[in-house]
Amino acid sequence: MSTSMNEKDQYKNRIELLQGTLDMLILQTLQWGPQHGYGIVQALRLRSGDVLQVETGSLYPALHRLERQGWVQSEWKQSESKQKARYYRITAKGKKQLASDLGRWERIVEAIGSVMYVKPEESES
Amino acid sequence: MKWFPSFGFQRRKRELQEEIDAHLQMAIADRVARGETAETARQAAAREFGNIPLVQDVTRDMWGQAWLEQVGRDVRYALRQLRKSPGFTITATAMLAVAICANSTVFSWIDGTMLRPIPGARETGDLVSLQRGERNFSPTPPFSYLDYRNLREQNHTFAGILAYHHDWITLTGGAQPERAYISNVSANYFDVLGIKPVLGRFFLPEEESRPVPNVVLSYSLWKTRYAEDPAIVGKSIEIARHPVTVIGVAPEGVVGAMPGIREDLWVTLDPLGTDVWRMTHRSGGAVWLNVIGRLRPGVSRGQAAQDLDTVMHNIVAAFPDDHLGDNRITLDPMWRSPFGANGYMAATLPILLAFAAVVLLLTSANVATLTLVRFVSRRRELAIRQSLGANRIQLVRQMVLEGVVLSIVAGAVALVLTSWTSKTFAWFFPANSNPLILNGSMDHKVVIGIAVSSLLVGVLCGALPAWRSSHAPAVEVLKAESASISGGSRNRKLLSGLVVAQIALSLPLLICSGLFLRTLRNLAGANPGFEQDHILTATVGLNIAGYSHNEEQVIRHKILDRVSALPGVKVASLTDWIPMTLSHKGEDAYPEGYVPHPHESLKVVHAEVSPRYFESLHIPILEGREFTPDDDEKAPRVLIVDQAAARRYWPGQDPLGKELRVWGSLFTVVGVVRNSTHTFVNESPEPMVYMSFFQAGYETMVQVETEGNPVDLAPAVQNAIHEIDTRLPVFDVRSMRESTQMASSFAVIQSTLAGMFALIGLVLAITGIYGVVAYRTQLRTHEIGIRMALGASRVDVLRLVLSQGLWLTGIGLALGLAFALGLTRIIVRLLYGIGANDPVTVVSVVMLLGAMSLLACYLPAHRAMRRNPVTAIREL
Repeated sequence: MSTSMNEKDQYKNRIELLQGTLDMLILQTLQWGPQHGYGIVQALRLRSGDVLQVETGSLYPALHRLERQGWVQSEWKQSESKQKARYYRITAKGKKQLASDLGRWERIVEAIGSVMYVKPEESES
Repeated sequence: MKWFPSFGFQRRKRELQEEIDAHLQMAIADRVARGETAETARQAAAREFGNIPLVQDVTRDMWGQAWLEQVGRDVRYALRQLRKSPGFTITATAMLAVAICANSTVFSWIDGTMLRPIPGARETGDLVSLQRGERNFSPTPPFSYLDYRNLREQNHTFAGILAYHHDWITLTGGAQPERAYISNVSANYFDVLGIKPVLGRFFLPEEESRPVPNVVLSYSLWKTRYAEDPAIVGKSIEIARHPVTVIGVAPEGVVGAMPGIREDLWVTLDPLGTDVWRMTHRSGGAVWLNVIGRLRPGVSRGQAAQDLDTVMHNIVAAFPDDHLGDNRITLDPMWRSPFGANGYMAATLPILLAFAAVVLLLTSANVATLTLVRFVSRRRELAIRQSLGANRIQLVRQMVLEGVVLSIVAGAVALVLTSWTSKTFAWFFPANSNPLILNGSMDHKVVIGIAVSSLLVGVLCGALPAWRSSHAPAVEVLKAESASISGGSRNRKLLSGLVVAQIALSLPLLICSGLFLRTLRNLAGANPGFEQDHILTATVGLNIAGYSHNEEQVIRHKILDRVSALPGVKVASLTDWIPMTLSHKGEDAYPEGYVPHPHESLKVVHAEVSPRYFESLHIPILEGREFTPDDDEKAPRVLIVDQAAARRYWPGQDPLGKELRVWGSLFTVVGVVRNSTHTFVNESPEPMVYMSFFQAGYETMVQVETEGNPVDLAPAVQNAIHEIDTRLPVFDVRSMRESTQMASSFAVIQSTLAGMFALIGLVLAITGIYGVVAYRTQLRTHEIGIRMALGASRVDVLRLVLSQGLWLTGIGLALGLAFALGLTRIIVRLLYGIGANDPVTVVSVVMLLGAMSLLACYLPAHRAMRRNPVTAIREL
């Protein structure tokens, strides 16, 4: 009973991903090595402290789109647990894209931050 | 429903499923590892994953096949629209299928004859047929062996030149003697054609003129007579009772070098050493070879002709006495080679294809009319879709797709139909003495032709109306419920234009078919100058069965005696030629002492006939006498000339007693007969000389005048001949009427097809005008009701409706007449006994079309006239 309550609370704390950030997160995850869809979901959840929960309905379309754009490549491999799965690997083109996404992301964070943390004196003057 | 289920698409769908399955499996495994039971783990994993089909669907959208899906959607939409109006769909598809089939059928005939002149040969486009002197249909072989050798060895423009001469022969030695078509060929024959043997080898250069009794069999002869014996090479077979050795077998489908003629076996030019004279002379009987050359790459036909003319000029200068007459060389590509069937094909089939193309245009106009009417009646639907955001391109694309779907289906139906109709070409040729193999062929060229015409039709009958309909501004259409009910003046103009086009296209078709039909009637009714009824002919294969010359003469006399004595036989005679069977023999003939101008052709056609020949054919002797049994080999050579020959050689003089030099020997004229038809009823009379059968006859044909039906006597005649020697091959036993049908077979082809095309044209034009007038009248029901309520009489209404239809008919007829004047000019050479602008035909066709259109307009007018004005006004 308590675990289920705990899960529910955690779920409430998860936040919706911003448009466009999913691509960046996927590419970043793949920087650490080839991974399958389930692995990407787990990695994102772990690293975000259970905050980021990627919906499969967003993940798979995104993976297939990234593959068509040539940012990732996929191949079928056996996982450690002998499960045959489709592993995605980031390409050189994908790495370039990740760099530019990251740059854009930092600019947005900075911009939002400078709006949110405005000092009161400055606003009054 | 997927319309473009590509293999890749199915595979990717399966992989996506596997990917999702793997995801679920790993999620379950993790949960089980954390201590959950298998069942709860499975449920939780599924819940966490969410809606699987939805995920799949969204993912698939990422594959970049959206445009494909869109086309698929458009096709489905088009199919749904077509299914909604099955009447239109079936009618339009059927009409288009028939029109495409008309084109593809004629094209398959062209493909099977003109475009495949020598089956099995390599690159027939580089082959040319050589003619010396006049160029006419089925000339006699034009070259001697020595001349051919000079041309072959002294030219600079040919990769190779071959020569051949073919004739019937009897295959003996087996259980049953069999008649086959044999060809004497130069050793390079197969090399020049580019054909390799399937068994053994072909001829070696050193075998060409030496007496080496070797034979090459055709594939079909090897199959039928020698049971595909794999060890046939090296075996001895018997031809006309002479043993010859089989050295090779030609590949399947190879039938020789003359278009439309099937050769069964090939030997060298003098395989038995019995034709030395023919191999060492340059004129007379030594002119016996047909010649075909293969141009060197990059050499044009004109250059080659010039080159050969130079060589020929030197030959003529060196041997002037052997080369009297016209010696200029003409080269023809094989598709219109005068030797064999293609000369006739080239004169007939392209014209029929042009007719078929007119039918296709006409049908497209008709279907476009129907399509336009459909779009106009769907204009509310189109307007709604437009206001809901569909752009014009999308609308046009969907409407064009409806036309394309129709034409693709029609093309598929036409493909199936053509695979049968292409084989009907052979039906047009009556039984005859030539080994004809003429038929259409159904290969990739025909399929491409069908695809191209389907596409053309699809665009013509889809795009035009679609573009027009999409012009209508949506707001106007939706607002104006009844004001612009006739679909706007633009559409009205297009509809009228289409109706006018249909009438204008069908009129020339009708006129041409009328001219062809009357030509056929004139040909059938024409007097060929000899008796065709009550005549039976039979060919006795004496010359091909291996008898000696003396044996032949004895047997010929016996045949004449026995057949004459048969009950029911009025007159029996022998000949070596049957008129109007597309065969003729020609030779240069010079009056004694006459010095011909250089290149002056004094060619006459000739036949060798026995006593009573003219009597049995009812050809009157105008002067002198007929041949008698005394005109034999011991007697002086005699000749009977016809009026045309008498006029050419001795104008204004009495020809009797005059002498004519043929084959280097002098013949004395003993009689003059009336002109009669030689090959075609519509030929211009060529001079003809008759020689005595027992002095110069080659083939033996028995010609019998009978009391009753000639065919009834056929068994008796055959028996009488077999009583002399059971091994005598007797063949081509048929009535003169049947034989001479060959001469009109092309007129039959022309009139049959033109007649069918014209009938299709008439039906289309009439239904077209009916449809448009009926549709417009229906749209004006409301207006007519008001007019009648305001006092218009029924006659006024009738006039109103009729006048618009008749206007269109009138314009269509006027345009059609102008078009017909152009089209009839190309068929003028095919007509007989009638002018290309024959007023009777033109007037009756115009009246027919006019009357039919009037009827087509009257029916809707009559209906409108009888409407009750009150209901007409209320109805919208």
